[in-house]
Amino acid sequence: MMNYIWSGMLLFGIAFAAVTGNLDKFTDGLLNSCTEGVYFVIGLAGIMAVWSGLMNIAKETGLIDLIARNTKPVIRFLFPRGLSKDTIAMILMSFTANLFGAGNSATVFSIKAMTMMDEENRRSTIASNEMCMFLAVNMSMIQLVPITVIKIRSEAGSLDPGSIIVPSIIAGLLSMIASILICKFFERKTM
Amino acid sequence: MASILSNISILFIPIMIIIIMLYAIYKRAPIYDYFIEGTKDGIKTAVDILPFIIAIFVGIESLVSSGAMEFLEGLLAPLFNFAGIPEELISLILLRPVSGSGSLVLVEKIVNQYGADSFVGRAASVMTGSCETVFYVLAVYFGATSVTKVRHALIVGLIGYIVGVFASVIVCVYI
Repeated sequence: MMNYIWSGMLLFGIAFAAVTGNLDKFTDGLLNSCTEGVYFVIGLAGIMAVWSGLMNIAKETGLIDLIARNTKPVIRFLFPRGLSKDTIAMILMSFTANLFGAGNSATVFSIKAMTMMDEENRRSTIASNEMCMFLAVNMSMIQLVPITVIKIRSEAGSLDPGSIIVPSIIAGLLSMIASILICKFFERKTM
Repeated sequence: MASILSNISILFIPIMIIIIMLYAIYKRAPIYDYFIEGTKDGIKTAVDILPFIIAIFVGIESLVSSGAMEFLEGLLAPLFNFAGIPEELISLILLRPVSGSGSLVLVEKIVNQYGADSFVGRAASVMTGSCETVFYVLAVYFGATSVTKVRHALIVGLIGYIVGVFASVIVCVYI
């Protein structure tokens, strides 16, 4: 599947660039994007290392067990088939980091959580219910303070840059509820 | 209000570190050894995902820089108009799912052109604050696993996104 999508993206891009006379832009963009990809991962590598280190402390000292035990009701609802304590802790960290808008840290926790669920799914090529639910929540997670947007607004001379916080949370919550419900619906249908 | 909340955001990382450290000290654990052991694992994960990230960056850029995305916008514009979404927001709605940084540039443009406190400016801001980069997230996060069949993750993400878009516009009408 990825074979078709990925080659499709590239070939469609080239064909389109050729027709619209954008081939120079296409080539530039392509070369820039591979470098960007490497920078992105290098940027993540440091954060990933630090958080993995801190999470390892939390794991070895038993803090993770403590958190996993206390959040069982929520986790049970989202992931009824159960996950290991370490994975649950990583998922919770990912949600919280997203909620607080801790950009790259959130990405790190999410990627880690996904690779851990992948292990629990025995590296299958088919996504598990848990992965789908995790992504459904992750993609629709509200952000308490969309700080980047607020910055953009205040630079543009807004009289009240923070006025979008409450509307963003309301819109985000609606999207989150919809995502979770739809995900549950599909889970039942495809079981 | 905004300043209190942005402080919460800044406090997240220090508070997490304090909690983990204090608990470890209370348990008299070899903190430094555990930390180093964990970082090794983190660096390994970063190296493992690099090939997938490069592939995804290249694929998405191919669609954006070739102008294919813009073409798609033109195709879908009537559909959004029909649904009552302001025309000025269409390119943002279509770009947001694939590119976080690209959509921020677009929000900046919209906010400067129509005014940060105008309806369109506010709706664009709320949308960016509440809607995620769905395709990008799916590509990067699944890219880190061995999954090739994503099942309902894509459709759920898209529906959630569309709900978020409509909710943003409607909320801005009333608040």
